[in-house]
Amino acid sequence: MSENKNTPEDEARLIEEVASAWRPHDSSELRFHPAWHDLDESAREAAFDIAARLRPMEAALDPGGLSTTARAVLARIRSAR
Amino acid sequence: MSDLDVHLAAIAAGDAGAYARWMAGAEPVLRAGLRRFAAHVDTEAVLQETLLRVWQVAPRFVSDGRPDGLVRLGHRIARNLAISELRKRGGQPPEALPSATIDPRPPDPMLRGVIEGCREKLPAKPAQALDARLQSGGLDPDDVLAERLGMKKNTFLQNFTRARALLAACLERHGVDLDAELA
Repeated sequence: MSENKNTPEDEARLIEEVASAWRPHDSSELRFHPAWHDLDESAREAAFDIAARLRPMEAALDPGGLSTTARAVLARIRSAR
Repeated sequence: MSDLDVHLAAIAAGDAGAYARWMAGAEPVLRAGLRRFAAHVDTEAVLQETLLRVWQVAPRFVSDGRPDGLVRLGHRIARNLAISELRKRGGQPPEALPSATIDPRPPDPMLRGVIEGCREKLPAKPAQALDARLQSGGLDPDDVLAERLGMKKNTFLQNFTRARALLAACLERHGVDLDAELA
């Protein structure tokens, strides 16, 4: 189990970062968000819950109806062609 | 209930636009299926890798005749990826693995109408942070987005948090229950 050494303010910012759709890319392996490793289990679940609530809002604001997750994937698909 | 397999033939033919429409419906249900792994693996990374792999295997996918076959395949890929990543880190999968409900639903058209109005009411700095994330579409880390806006990363994240909270409160005032949407 991870140990949380963050202040509440640091933790809130790390959670917000991890809830984003940006992830480092590596064609050879799946890469986690660097900030994910700095969160304890409950904070990781909090980041999940924020992302789950945020993505429908993003999709509703996107002309194509896509969340930032779907747009990131679509960009990788199109760049691979 | 909708059947996202209506997009299957076009996806199999390499139509990325059709895959985008499939993702719009499939993403929430695939994400929900990863909730039980959220404490142990980066589910956003697992989800994006799952969506890439579904695209790659879709041309070889053979439907069993039941609805949402490609979503069910995605669900299996996501679960296996999550378990694989968990084991790489020395963890064990959760003992109880109840089957996730697979019922993709089309986005609520009411949400789109209300949320545009809510965005227009955001204060300038939170609106800038929100727009930066939306325009980037998940392609840039927050320190890059912050620099573009002339903000420190911490300031950017505080503004984004505020934008998210204000949007959620505004939606609630207009009768949009995001938790019900996600249930």
